[in-house]
Amino acid sequence: MFIRMIAKAFVRQWKKMAMIAFTIALGASLATAMLSVMMDVGDKINQELKAYGANINVVPKGNSVISELYDVGDENVTGAYLNESELGKIKTIFWAFNIVDYAPFITTEAVLEDGSFVEVTGTWFNHHMELPTGEQLDAGLNSLRSWWDITSGRWIDEQTNDKSVAMVGSTLAKKEGISVNDDITLKGIASDVTVKVVGIYDSGGEEDDYIYVPVDIAQLLGGLDGKIDSIEVSALTTPDNELAQKAARDPGSLSVSQYETWYCTAYVSSICYQIEEVITDSVASAVRQVASSEGTILEKTQLLMILITILSMIGAALGICNLVTASVMERSQEIGLMKAIGAHNGAITGLVITEIMCTAVIGGIAGFFAGLGFAQIIGHTVFDSAINMRPMVIPVVTVLVFIVTLTGCIPAIRMLLNLHPTEVLHGR
Amino acid sequence: MKKRQMYIRMVTASLLRRRSRMVIALLAIAIGATILSGLVTIYVDVPRQMGAQFRNYGANMIFTATEDVMSAESVESAISVIPESELVGAAPYRYETVRINDIAVMAAATRLDEVQKTSPFWDVSGDWPAGPGDIMIGKTVAQTYNLKAGSRLTCTYAPVSEGSSDTADPEAGEEDIVPDNYKDFTVSGILDTGGNEEDYVYMSIEDMEELTGEPATYDVCELSISATSDELNIIKDEITDSVEGVTARLVKKVTESETTVLSKLQALVLLVTVVVLALTMICVATTMTAVVAERRKEIGLRKALGASDSSIVYEFMGEGIVLGAVGGLLGAILGFIFAQAVSVNVFNSSITIMPLLTPVTIIVSVIVTAIACLIPVRSATDVDPALVLKGE
Repeated sequence: MFIRMIAKAFVRQWKKMAMIAFTIALGASLATAMLSVMMDVGDKINQELKAYGANINVVPKGNSVISELYDVGDENVTGAYLNESELGKIKTIFWAFNIVDYAPFITTEAVLEDGSFVEVTGTWFNHHMELPTGEQLDAGLNSLRSWWDITSGRWIDEQTNDKSVAMVGSTLAKKEGISVNDDITLKGIASDVTVKVVGIYDSGGEEDDYIYVPVDIAQLLGGLDGKIDSIEVSALTTPDNELAQKAARDPGSLSVSQYETWYCTAYVSSICYQIEEVITDSVASAVRQVASSEGTILEKTQLLMILITILSMIGAALGICNLVTASVMERSQEIGLMKAIGAHNGAITGLVITEIMCTAVIGGIAGFFAGLGFAQIIGHTVFDSAINMRPMVIPVVTVLVFIVTLTGCIPAIRMLLNLHPTEVLHGR
Repeated sequence: MKKRQMYIRMVTASLLRRRSRMVIALLAIAIGATILSGLVTIYVDVPRQMGAQFRNYGANMIFTATEDVMSAESVESAISVIPESELVGAAPYRYETVRINDIAVMAAATRLDEVQKTSPFWDVSGDWPAGPGDIMIGKTVAQTYNLKAGSRLTCTYAPVSEGSSDTADPEAGEEDIVPDNYKDFTVSGILDTGGNEEDYVYMSIEDMEELTGEPATYDVCELSISATSDELNIIKDEITDSVEGVTARLVKKVTESETTVLSKLQALVLLVTVVVLALTMICVATTMTAVVAERRKEIGLRKALGASDSSIVYEFMGEGIVLGAVGGLLGAILGFIFAQAVSVNVFNSSITIMPLLTPVTIIVSVIVTAIACLIPVRSATDVDPALVLKGE
C-alpha cells in the first residue's frame, strides 16, 4: 500500500515532483560545479602563474658567491660549472611531477664582425625529453619567457633540427643592423661559428642586448663542452608556512617527523633541497620575486573561491529548503483528509519524507552530472583545460542534498501535523 | 480612487494573511538578490583587489636616464605625473662601487621605506636600515665577508675624477690613488631575494651622499603602479614625452604576466557569477511558482465571483512587485555585507561601494518575481473556475 501510494503520488503529481526534482538538481549542480572548481583552482592558477617564469635558480656552488657579482666582463675565469649530463636528473626528484619546466644556461662572450663584444647565451628553446617514467616534456625558453615579444621571425624550434641558429635581442639588432635570416659570424673564445638569425625578440629587460643560441653552439664558442652555468626551474609549489621557513634556514634544525613532512610537501625550499641532492655541487635558491608572490596570490584566489562557493552553497541549500517547505505546505488538504480517515502522524511523516527523498535522489543525481558539465565548461573557457574531478565532491554533495532536503521538510511537516483535519477540510 | 484603495488593500491583506508562505517567498527572493549583489560587487572589485596583490611581484615600471644620470628633481617631477591613488611605491636607486676590505662591492643608495613597497618580496633577516649609518647587505656579500646583523664594516669610496659611469666596473676603484672617503656602517639586516640583489649592499641616500661627497643623482627608479597595462602605457608615454632626461619603461615580465593571469581570474569569477546567478534565479522562480500555484482555488473563486482575468493578473503582479522590491532591498544589503566580509577576509581591505547596484538588484528581483508569478497565474486563469473549485 505504502509503495503504491508513493508510486501514485509520482504519477499523479508528476508536475509538482518534477519541479522539486528540478530545483534540487539545480542546487546539486551548483554545489558540484563550485566544489570541483574550488578544489582545482589552486592547480590551475598555479599553472597560470608560471607565466612569471622560473621560481628556482640553480647555480654551481663555488660560483654562487662570485658569478653574478662579476658577470660583467670576466667570463670563464671562475671555473665553476654544472654538468649538462646531469640535467635529466631534475625530473627524477621526489617532486619531479611538480617540475613543469626548466632550462639550462651557458653564457659566453663573442666578438661580432665589427669588433664589438656581445654576450651569447646557450639554452633550450623547446627541448624535447623522453623521461625514464615514460613521460614526455618540452622544456625551454619558449615557455619560460612567455612575456617575450618576437618582433620579427620566430622562436628557435629544436624539433626541426634548427642548428647554427640564433635569436637576437631587439636593442642589439637595432644597434648592429641585424635582421631575420642574416648570417652572423661569432668569434668565440675557443672557436668561430656562423649562425643564422631566425628571430628577434623584445624582452623589455637587459636580455635585449644578448644573443640566444642552442646550448651546443654556446659550448663550442666558449670551449665549454658539456658544461652549463645555471639552470632555471619552474615548479608548482605550495605556499610557505612556518615549517617551510624554518627548514629554508636550516633543514638540520628539524626533527625527524618535521623533516619528513617538509621533504614530502612541495615547498619551494624542499624542491630546492632535492635539486641540490641530484645535481653535483649545486646551490638551488628560490627566486623570491616569483616564489613568494605566487604563494600570496594562490592563497588569495583560493580563499576567494572558497567564500564564493560557501555563498552559492548556502544559496542552493536555502533555495531547495524553501521549495520543499512550500510544496509540502501546499498539501495541507490532502494531509487533512488522511488524518480524518485515521492516518497516524508517523505514517504521514514517513510518506511525505519518502516522496521527497525519492525526488531528491533523482534530482541530486541529475544535478551532479550537470554540475560536472558546468565545471568543465568553466575549466575549458577560462583555463583551456579540463577541471580534475575530485572524489571528495561526491560525498559532500550527497550529504548536502540529503540534509538540506530533510531540513526543508521538517518545519512543513511539523506544521501539517498540528493541523486539525476538520479546519483544513473546511478550507480555512 | 476607491478602486486603487481596494487594490492596495487586497495586495497588503493577501501578503499579511498568508504570512508563512510569504516569508518563504520573501526568503527565496532575498537569497537570489543577495547572491546577485554580492557576486557582482566581488566581480567588479576583483581586478582592483587582485591587482593590488599582484604588486607583490614588484616594480612594473622603471625610469632610466635618457643620458647618463637623472637628477633628483626630474625623478620627482616624473613621479608626480602618476596619479597618487595608483602609485604603490617609487624607489629611486643610485649605484656606486664601494670597497669593503679592499674588495669592490656594488652599493645601492635608495629610499628604503619605498623599497619595502616596491619590492615586498625581499626577505630581510634582521631589520631594515632605520637610521643613519645603517646598512643592509645581500646574502652573498654577507657570506663573502662573514658578516651578521649587528656587525660593523667600513666602506671606502674612491672619488672618480674622470666622470663616474653608471654601470659599475668592479675594478674601477683599485687603480685610483686619490685619497679615499671612509664611512663606518652597522649591518642592520641580511637580504635574501634569490636574485642579483644579494650581491649588493643597500644604504640610505643621505649616507651615500656623505660617503661620496656628491649630491644625489639617480641611475634608475623602480615604480610599482597599480593600473592596467593600457593605463601603464599611457603613463609611460606621458613621462617619456613630458619629463626631460627620464625614459620610462615597462617591466614586461611583470606587466605582461599580470595581464594574462588577471584576465583569467576575472573570467573565472565572471563565469562563476553567471552560473551561480542563473541557477539561483531559476531556484527563486520555482519557489515563487510553487507558492502561487497553491492559490489556484482562490483564483477560481474570484473568477466565479466575476473578476476579469486581467484584474487577477494585476493583483498577483502587485504582490509580486512588493515581494520583489522588499526581497531585493534585503538582498542588496545582505549581498553588500557578504562582499565586504569577503573583501576584508581575503584582501584585508574594504570594498568599493557601487550605488547603482542596489536599484539594479531590486529591479532584477522584481522582474524575476513577476515573471515567476505570471506563469502559474496565467495557467490558473485559463482554467474553468468550476473545475478549479471542484478541486480537479
